[in-house]
This record gives sequence, C-alpha cells and structure tokens, in this order.
Amino acid sequence: MYVLDPTAEVRPQPVSRAPRLDSLHHRRVGLLSNGKAAVAPLFDHLESLLRQEWKANEVLRLTKGNSSAPAEPNLIRELARCHLIFTGVGD
Amino acid sequence: MVLSTRLLSTRHEVDDERAAQDFLHEKGWTDGLPVIAPTPERVMSCLDVAGLAPDHVIGIEPVRERPITAEKAAVNAVLAGCQPVHFPVVAAILEAMCRPEFLLHGATSSTGGCAVLVVVNGPVRLELGMEPTFNVLGNSDRASAVIGRAVRLVLRNVLDVRPGTLDRSTLGHPGKLGYCMAEDEEGTDWTPLAQLRGAPAGVSAVTVLAAGAPRQIMNEWTTAPEEILETFAAEMRANMLHYSIWGGNYAIVVPKQLRDRLQDAGWSKPHIQQFLFERARVRKRDWTGVGKGALVTATNGDEEHAALLSPADLLVIAAGGPGGGFGAVIPPWFGHKSRAVTTGVGVCFSC
Repeated sequence: MYVLDPTAEVRPQPVSRAPRLDSLHHRRVGLLSNGKAAVAPLFDHLESLLRQEWKANEVLRLTKGNSSAPAEPNLIRELARCHLIFTGVGD
Repeated sequence: MVLSTRLLSTRHEVDDERAAQDFLHEKGWTDGLPVIAPTPERVMSCLDVAGLAPDHVIGIEPVRERPITAEKAAVNAVLAGCQPVHFPVVAAILEAMCRPEFLLHGATSSTGGCAVLVVVNGPVRLELGMEPTFNVLGNSDRASAVIGRAVRLVLRNVLDVRPGTLDRSTLGHPGKLGYCMAEDEEGTDWTPLAQLRGAPAGVSAVTVLAAGAPRQIMNEWTTAPEEILETFAAEMRANMLHYSIWGGNYAIVVPKQLRDRLQDAGWSKPHIQQFLFERARVRKRDWTGVGKGALVTATNGDEEHAALLSPADLLVIAAGGPGGGFGAVIPPWFGHKSRAVTTGVGVCFSC
C-alpha cells in the first residue's frame, strides 16, 4: 500500500551569501530589535563593540512595533540603506 | 471547469497498515497518537466531498508565504482521523487562519504557546454529530476531536510548526492536541457566535481564535446576572495580571445552568459583552500585588487597561453540560495582535 507524504515538500530556493565586509569603517550598521526588553542590553553592548572596536561610523537602532510580526515596511526601507544588519530576539 | 485530480504528494510504499503507523511515527509526522494511513483513495475522498482540486490553494501563510493546498490539508486530515465529511470544516478553518489579521506565523511560533481555538456554528454541527454539551472542552465527540487534531497536524507538517523548530512554545497547552468545539445553538435563545460576527443565519461557519488554555470559573451561589458575570470579569482581570495585560479577543464559555439565569433575566450576548467590557479592567499599579512591580512607575500606576478593546471583542459561546455553575474564560494569545476570524464552511459570506 502507499501513503502520501503530509509535509509541504517545498524545495528550498537556492540563495547566495552577500559579500563579506572587510571593514566597518565608513559603513552603516543596522540593529533591529523585536521590541522585547532583553534585546536592549544586548544591543547596547553590541553597539559599543561596533563603534569602539570595529569603528563603525553609524549604527542605526530600530525596533519592530509587534514582536510577532514582520518588520514594518518603513523599517525595511531604513535597513536597506545599511551595509550590515543584526536582528535580535529577546524574551 | 475541469478540476485537476492528480495527487502530487510523494507516495511512500509500506507493507500494511501497521507498517504505515511505524513509518509515519518514525518520520515525525504525527503528534504521537495513532494515525490513519493517508492513502491516495482516502485523500481523494476528502477532496471529492469538499469539491476541491488537489492543487487548490486554501490559503497562504502570509509571512513565510507558504501555501496550504487542498491536497496537503486532506492528507493531514486523514492522518488525524477525519472522515471525508469532516474535511470541508477543516478547509474553512485553514482559510480563516490564513487571513492576515490572524497573524498565523506569530501565533504558532511564539513562546506564548497558544493553540487555535475553533468554534463551529450552523447546520454542519448537527450533520457531523458534534456535541456542544457534556465535556465540551474535553473530548466530547469524534468530529470535534479529529477536526481539531487535523488543524494541528497541518501546522506541524505543512508549515513546519514542530516543537523546538518553528514552534518555540515554552509550555504550550493541552488544546494544542485539538481545540475544537461546537456552540449549543439548540440549547439557547442567544444569537449564534458566527451570526453575531457577520455570518448569515443558518449558514455553517467557523470562528478561529489564537487562544490560551481555558481558565475555569465557578459560581453556583447566585441567580443575579451581574454577580455571575462578575466572576467571569474577575477571571479576565486575573489573566490580565497573571498573564498578559493587553486587551483583545477574549472568549467565554457559558454553560446551561448559568446561561438560563442570564436568559431568564433578559440578558443577550450584546448585554454580556457590554458588561464585561466595562468590568474587565485593571490598573497598572495592580501589577505590584502579583510580583510585577518592576514595571510600575511613579507615573504609570493609574493607567487603565481593558481586557476588551470594544464590547464586540468578546466571543460569547453557549456550550457545556446541563448541570453545574461552571464556565470558562479563554484568553487571547497576545492581546489584539492576533484577531479572531469567522468564515463560512464551503461558502464565502464576505466576498
């Protein structure tokens, strides 16, 4: 007898990695928080590392309005201007 | 129009029904309970009854843009134990869950661990033998059990909502095995839930709510509607303090004993909604008494939070056994971030 596969059977689309950055000097870095409280201290520390050790000259801090939904279009537009993005989930 | 009848799912060969059980469990495609082998014939029977082609897209999960086809929904419905006659209700539920306002991805992946509460209204309840009285939030009947389970298996297998992968629930709750019930329309004069939410009278419909576990209440010591409802309000306030302060769609289940008191005094569902809209409120400072004082400041203590953003946010469900002054408050997963959705079974009443 035969049974049918209950899973989506979706083939993942091939993706390629973005080119790695040699340096953050004169680069814009975006930090996207899901809005939960525990992200703030993590990003505070990360921002200080980025500025002091990696010499990023601009760090953009953004926060989603709803931790359980995708980032709003205006945030995506802002992030599209960045050379490097971190996203953080905190509970 | 000629419907496609070709099933596209991979066919796995197994020796017999017993081998099918072992195979399906080993693959991680079950919830741990015994399943029915989804053979092509059983799946086609579901699709035939619903009048859906295998490649018909019931809905698309909006965030990951994952389609739920009728075929994949039917495979999981069979797996869950559905008979073909149950499948149109499963399809309607999935359609409702894919509406953007339901926030399906967030609701099923959140640490909050909610389940999809389903309330069935209309003639289909009687056709399927759904029992909205005794043990309605437990295992009341076959249809409720298998329909609720089918929803969970579709999430698991089609949308990858598996514990520890996409399902990040810290605790979850027993409703995640299945959380489907019918409303006791024959046992009340009240307007059915779906009709209050826009369905035409006499049309079968489902309402879905991203919901926490039921919180049971009891009040057998009064006949006054206000006192009965104050107990429900107190439980809603407790949820706002102990779980989440954010308002949204709450559901209450009102069994016959309490319902009769309310109906005899002339209280309709809208009256109940208005009463609880006004009474289910807390102030931020109330958090200090439940260990959450860290969030109360000198300036926000007077902030008032309502459990319901409007009276219509309350889903009043007539259901439960005939005796006992019990009831239940079923809280929303995450305030108003996910909204309850009502849709027709095999019919679109909002198109």
